[in-house]
Amino acid sequence: MKRLATIICVAAVAVAVAGCSTTSGTSVTLRHDDGSALISEGNTRLHNSIAVTAVTYDKVPAGLNRANFQITSLVQREQYLQYRIAWYNSEGMEIDGEARTYRPLSLQGMDSVTVSGVAPGPAAVTSRIRIRELRASE
Amino acid sequence: MKNATLLLSLSLALGAATGCVSRPVVDDSRLDYAATTTRIEAQDIRRTVEAMAESLISDPGVLEATGGARPVLDIEPMKNRSQMIVDMQSITDSVRTRLIRSRLFRFVDRSTAGADIAIMDEQAQLGLTDPRKAVRPGQQTAAQMYLTGSLTDIVNRVGNRSDHYYKFNMILKDLRTGEIVWTDEKEIRKVAHRPYL
Repeated sequence: MKRLATIICVAAVAVAVAGCSTTSGTSVTLRHDDGSALISEGNTRLHNSIAVTAVTYDKVPAGLNRANFQITSLVQREQYLQYRIAWYNSEGMEIDGEARTYRPLSLQGMDSVTVSGVAPGPAAVTSRIRIRELRASE
Repeated sequence: MKNATLLLSLSLALGAATGCVSRPVVDDSRLDYAATTTRIEAQDIRRTVEAMAESLISDPGVLEATGGARPVLDIEPMKNRSQMIVDMQSITDSVRTRLIRSRLFRFVDRSTAGADIAIMDEQAQLGLTDPRKAVRPGQQTAAQMYLTGSLTDIVNRVGNRSDHYYKFNMILKDLRTGEIVWTDEKEIRKVAHRPYL
């Protein structure tokens, strides 16, 4: 019985460690031509701790698309996240993928923060925000 | 015999010691990485450049100042007023790259003006170039505005805690009117602490 408990403990720790190393996160794909938004959640812990509560889009005066995403904390503790907004052309190919950075985001308990991204050029018609835990980037 | 043993031992010790000097392992790494020092790092520069370019592209003031036309800009390297050694020219160059790729701005480059003159002189004087196709001086576009800025920092150390604050500030100045058409700041704060144990 004691041995079984030990095995279960070891397995639990292994699962926990494996969970810490995941790089998947929450992502929202926004099409600027019809306004449809597709939310994908690949990390259970992040799914339970944040939510994308609003997605809006407009154009900057120069005519480029801009996407705004409201991220809301579902937990009391402060969270350290990173987000990256990528842009895609009408054929679904990412534009300047290597130039887009993950930006830090500090989210207070039960707070909401709106983040924005501007398209790198006129060809960008779809945006996608990807949110991950800071720990996953280390 | 004793000397031979000593020599052998020394040789073995030397061999072991040199064997212990391992070569560093170098791997390609992602450009986005979590902070490893309190100094300005590659990801800080990349994030700052991206934020500044997006801010400038989003601002209506630039297009208002040019009447909706694509403005012609120049860059004046940012000033480094921090305690760190940072290549400020590289930062303004990166912002310029982003802006040019947006197709909303045009740039002139004063840093290569000497080379421009040298090439034009060669075209005019060496006799290799068709005179009708040779480029003559005095036809280059003039910059309407220039982009510049500064980096400042505040460093505080209390006990085993080190607090570094950096501020990138950029401005776009209209050459004709002298007005600042656009400005923005990007702040970075990094805190390091050494555990007692």
